Amino acid sequence: MTATRHVVLLAGRALVQFPRNPILLGFSVMPVLMMYLVFGALFAGVADLPGFPTDNYFEFLAPTAVLLATVPGIGNAGVAVAADFQTGYFHKLLTTPVSVGALMYGRLIGDCLRLAAQSALVLLLAIALGGHIESGVPGALLMIVLGTLLGIVTFGVLSANLAIRTKDAAAVQAIQPMAFLLIFLTSAYQTTDHIDSPVLRAIINLNPAEYVLRAMRDLMLTGYDWGAIATALLVIAGLAAIGLPLTVRNYRNAYR
Amino acid sequence: MTISASPPAALEPAGTDTGAIALAELIRDARAVGPRLSRRNGEDAISVAGLCKKYPDGTQAVQGMSFRVAAGESFGILGPNGAGKSTTIGMLGTLVRPTSGDLEVAGFDVVEDAKEVRRRIGFATQQAGTDDFATATESLILQGRLQGMAKREAAARARLLLRIMDLEDVAERRLGALSGGIKRRVDLAASLVHLPPILFLDEPTEGLDPRVRASVWGTLTELRRELGITIVLTTHFMEEADRLCERIGLINRGSLVAEGTPEALKTTVGDQALVIDLGTESSPEDVARARQAVSAHESARRTLVTDRQISIFTDASAALAPQALRLLELAGLTTRSVSITKPTLEDVYLHYTGRAFDDERAMDLKRADDELERAA
Repeated sequence: MTATRHVVLLAGRALVQFPRNPILLGFSVMPVLMMYLVFGALFAGVADLPGFPTDNYFEFLAPTAVLLATVPGIGNAGVAVAADFQTGYFHKLLTTPVSVGALMYGRLIGDCLRLAAQSALVLLLAIALGGHIESGVPGALLMIVLGTLLGIVTFGVLSANLAIRTKDAAAVQAIQPMAFLLIFLTSAYQTTDHIDSPVLRAIINLNPAEYVLRAMRDLMLTGYDWGAIATALLVIAGLAAIGLPLTVRNYRNAYR
Repeated sequence: MTISASPPAALEPAGTDTGAIALAELIRDARAVGPRLSRRNGEDAISVAGLCKKYPDGTQAVQGMSFRVAAGESFGILGPNGAGKSTTIGMLGTLVRPTSGDLEVAGFDVVEDAKEVRRRIGFATQQAGTDDFATATESLILQGRLQGMAKREAAARARLLLRIMDLEDVAERRLGALSGGIKRRVDLAASLVHLPPILFLDEPTEGLDPRVRASVWGTLTELRRELGITIVLTTHFMEEADRLCERIGLINRGSLVAEGTPEALKTTVGDQALVIDLGTESSPEDVARARQAVSAHESARRTLVTDRQISIFTDASAALAPQALRLLELAGLTTRSVSITKPTLEDVYLHYTGRAFDDERAMDLKRADDELERAA
């Protein structure tokens, strides 16, 4: 109960910070919306390919844009932790009864709520551009949850560990491009059937993000594919089982 | 010939009238909380036995340290840079894991029951850790709530503490925009928000102006006297140690080399110090010759040289003074002034560490940071 209270308090702290850091908010929302608009317009012709699942490319691209918001965006949690190290606030928190797990999850949850709001903006833009979410509002919410969870277990874990290792906000920010690589090596812009290179197709099939993206795209274009959703959740659970205990352990070892 | 025997000026708690009223309110508030904070004379708040810390890089920061701090007592940790002060207070405050030894704070083992320890301590870190995006009020309320206080209670306590620390004007401003001195006061206030029975202060008044420093000393003294809060602090200010600490532990190279009340420590150096100033025109050779001449006298217990001054610690300074002057005259040396003073903590520091405090001080802040950094 106390741990939950601490998580809520620390998530609240993170949420209070966001509006006070307009640069963070601006630079985590605007590039995603810009990319969505630019790539959507640039590759609009792809939707005309035979067998393409929709004739509105913005609709196809919307789940990708959600991932572009959540996966690199969660890296801010690690940046914030590193900044707390640099200011000495992390020490201050460690002298209270707060567990390291609560410190970590509080920050991540705060950032997740921010990312969920940003993802909702992306989906609203998709609707404004003529897109339709086949699975409705519950499906949209599920899409946001899947995207956010993938962000936590991939880039969230990576940035949090890097923060504890380097205690340097700039170092954590430097790995941001890796997040884009994770997303670009999926069927983000094109269905796998339309990708000629067998090597690239093999890489995409090995990328865990691909399975989450497939489930999200189904929610967007065709409705609830429970098999795909279960696969996405399994992938997320698998990554979480590896990354989260490792992260908590690293945090525990930091000052104990 | 002058004798320095002026008593320290009385400490004024909470620099302003508003602050003094707030402090009185805080004390009433704390008494209403219950017996957790009542003074428990004779009981140990802190018990350290055979404490060692060896960092992964092989640095033995603390070795075989043992001491006790009674409940309600104020204990100062003094020592040169790299002596292990920050590591020691870090271990007491659960920030650094001891390699070996027994360490109990508030009756709980700091390793096994770290959470229980943290419920009972406040810790103002040397870095004055604050959240730059939060306001001072928010920072204090969060700290209180993480310590289990209700929101309303934490907010009321935060208001009082901000008044005591003379921070009302900046209470709603973001800490990132405020000076280091203000952040330090906010950090100090945050350490007190849950009125912990034990308070750890790592260089608590570094960077504060003299007026604020005196006010902080007064507040801490008042809180300790009225509420029986146990205070353990590291400091670079000898005056701070002298005024705030009932007992002092002097550490050097990771070991406790002396422990006692400031007065008792001073008497270990000598009852009095005969200070001979040779003047700026004297050469280092003159100083060396003068030292050799006077240290041969049978009543000179120990001599120390700082710049062009020779301090001779003795139990019979009045008798020694004319004889020392005659010895210097025979050696062909002239003196600018001679004074008899009481030994200071700085003399004690020099005696036990063999190093001048001022030489150490500039580097000490960075070194302490490095110690905590190494702990990470």
